Amino acid sequence: MRWSKPTALALALPWLLTFAAFWLFPIVYSLVMGFTDYQLLSRGYEWVGLENYRQLLADPDFIKALKNTFVFVGGTIPVTTIVSLGLALLVSRQFRGRGLFRAGYFVPSITSMVVVALIFTNLYQRGGYVALLTELVGLSPPEHGFLFDESTALYSIMAMDVWMAVGYYMLIFLAGLKSIPVELYEAAEISGSGRIRQFFWITLPLLRPVALFILVINTIKSFQVMVEIFVMTKGKFDTSTMVYFVYEKGLTTQFQFGYASAAAYVLFVIIALFSVAQFRLLRRRQPLW
Amino acid sequence: MVVPAARSNMLVSLGRYGLLSVILILMVFPLLWMLRISFMGTGQAISMNQVLAAGFTFSNYMDIFSGDLIGRPLLNSAAVGLAVTGGNILFCFMVAYSLARFRYLVNKLLFITVILILMIPAHIIIIPLYVLMLKTGLYDSYWALILPWLVNPIGIFLVKQYIESVPPAMEDAARIDGAGDFRIAFRIVMPLCKPALAVLAIQVFFTNWNSFLFPYILTISSELRTLPVALALYQGHQAVDWQHLMAGSSIAVLPVLVLFMFMQRHVVSGITAGAVKQ
Repeated sequence: MRWSKPTALALALPWLLTFAAFWLFPIVYSLVMGFTDYQLLSRGYEWVGLENYRQLLADPDFIKALKNTFVFVGGTIPVTTIVSLGLALLVSRQFRGRGLFRAGYFVPSITSMVVVALIFTNLYQRGGYVALLTELVGLSPPEHGFLFDESTALYSIMAMDVWMAVGYYMLIFLAGLKSIPVELYEAAEISGSGRIRQFFWITLPLLRPVALFILVINTIKSFQVMVEIFVMTKGKFDTSTMVYFVYEKGLTTQFQFGYASAAAYVLFVIIALFSVAQFRLLRRRQPLW
Repeated sequence: MVVPAARSNMLVSLGRYGLLSVILILMVFPLLWMLRISFMGTGQAISMNQVLAAGFTFSNYMDIFSGDLIGRPLLNSAAVGLAVTGGNILFCFMVAYSLARFRYLVNKLLFITVILILMIPAHIIIIPLYVLMLKTGLYDSYWALILPWLVNPIGIFLVKQYIESVPPAMEDAARIDGAGDFRIAFRIVMPLCKPALAVLAIQVFFTNWNSFLFPYILTISSELRTLPVALALYQGHQAVDWQHLMAGSSIAVLPVLVLFMFMQRHVVSGITAGAVKQ
């Protein structure tokens, strides 16, 4: 390692520049804006201290968005994790046609969110395919379609998100399953433990790091749910989420940059807390289950 | 009842295939639905009967290519996607090489910034990036769609790990022969990194091709719409024109599907790379 420093810096320069301009600066800038009443059309702006944050906590729209985001995260993540683990177990062993099933399960997750949201808008509409299925089961679908009813809209979007994400996390679980040494199962077989015991004593404990990795990335992603809300409901029918709120306050009608930045920072802190908690779990030595 | 071993095995595997197939249908059905609607005549109602009974026509595809729904956005998506992907291949390699082969104080700092970005949710920059683009005059230009995404921290990680697994002997030999730093980096190390760069390229291209939020908020003129933006905004006209919308959606999905089919291994290893090295 006796190489010249200028070269090293020159090579890293594109990263340093884009990082400073498009990440570091915006992150700091947004923190600062959060303490001002800055709006698009205002001449200047004034420091308002913690006023934005105080207003947020009293804003029913914000509380609603906060609640919906937590419903979304708390509802989708356990289902997605369990279903994707189930899928991974189903297609992990060698059998004829395995590649086809794996690819088929995975395909939704590389499809554009906008396209998926459009397709499901159609499936969920009044008299649409899902309504038909609901009637077949003997239930009555919402009168104006699943996305036009406060009691079903958010859950319908959540179901779509689970459908879309399971194949992706299945792949990660598969990689985790592959890294478990076969000898462990052979030893268990010899000592006479059945499939179920093997699953609880070998598979699950050894999948813990992968499972927690999945939890962390899925949490960060799910807290930021926005595009599907934009395409499917525009935040109506009690589906607004935190990032949708940031968009709505900051980049439509009034362009309240300060207020929206403060809201974004609240979510930022929530995500950071969750990530730190999950990383703590990831580091823990003793088994979780 | 005692079932002979061979027969019970067959039953088990039959049940397994049954279950697998039901799930497969659930997973691909919405995409097939999209495809079916895209071939239905305009004006036909999207009811179950119609979907089954209606014929096939290519007219929706003809319409969208001659109209403004797909033509320009398709070009925009392709151009921006290629620019961002190319930029990532070049720049992520440069940074990764610097991180992998040089030791100096800034190195640690760089590494910390990479980690930081990995952890920071992108939503935090929505508002400030919008304001920044407005103030710098980059708002509503191709630059706004390309510049912020030219270097991807996950890509840096991926390539750095790969370079570290390559022994530096060849580089030392080249140095003795009098090759300069840049020559070594681009002529010797970069070609060796092809597998990692291919994985990176696919990841970046997919993400960029599908992305909606930032292209939507950082542009306003319809000439700059990318495919997802055009599709999301097309819905808003009058009564939803599902046939054309689904034809456009099918076009948007096609390149990703084709790339996936031909480069499945690269796609998969890009996704699992982070997870297994925990």
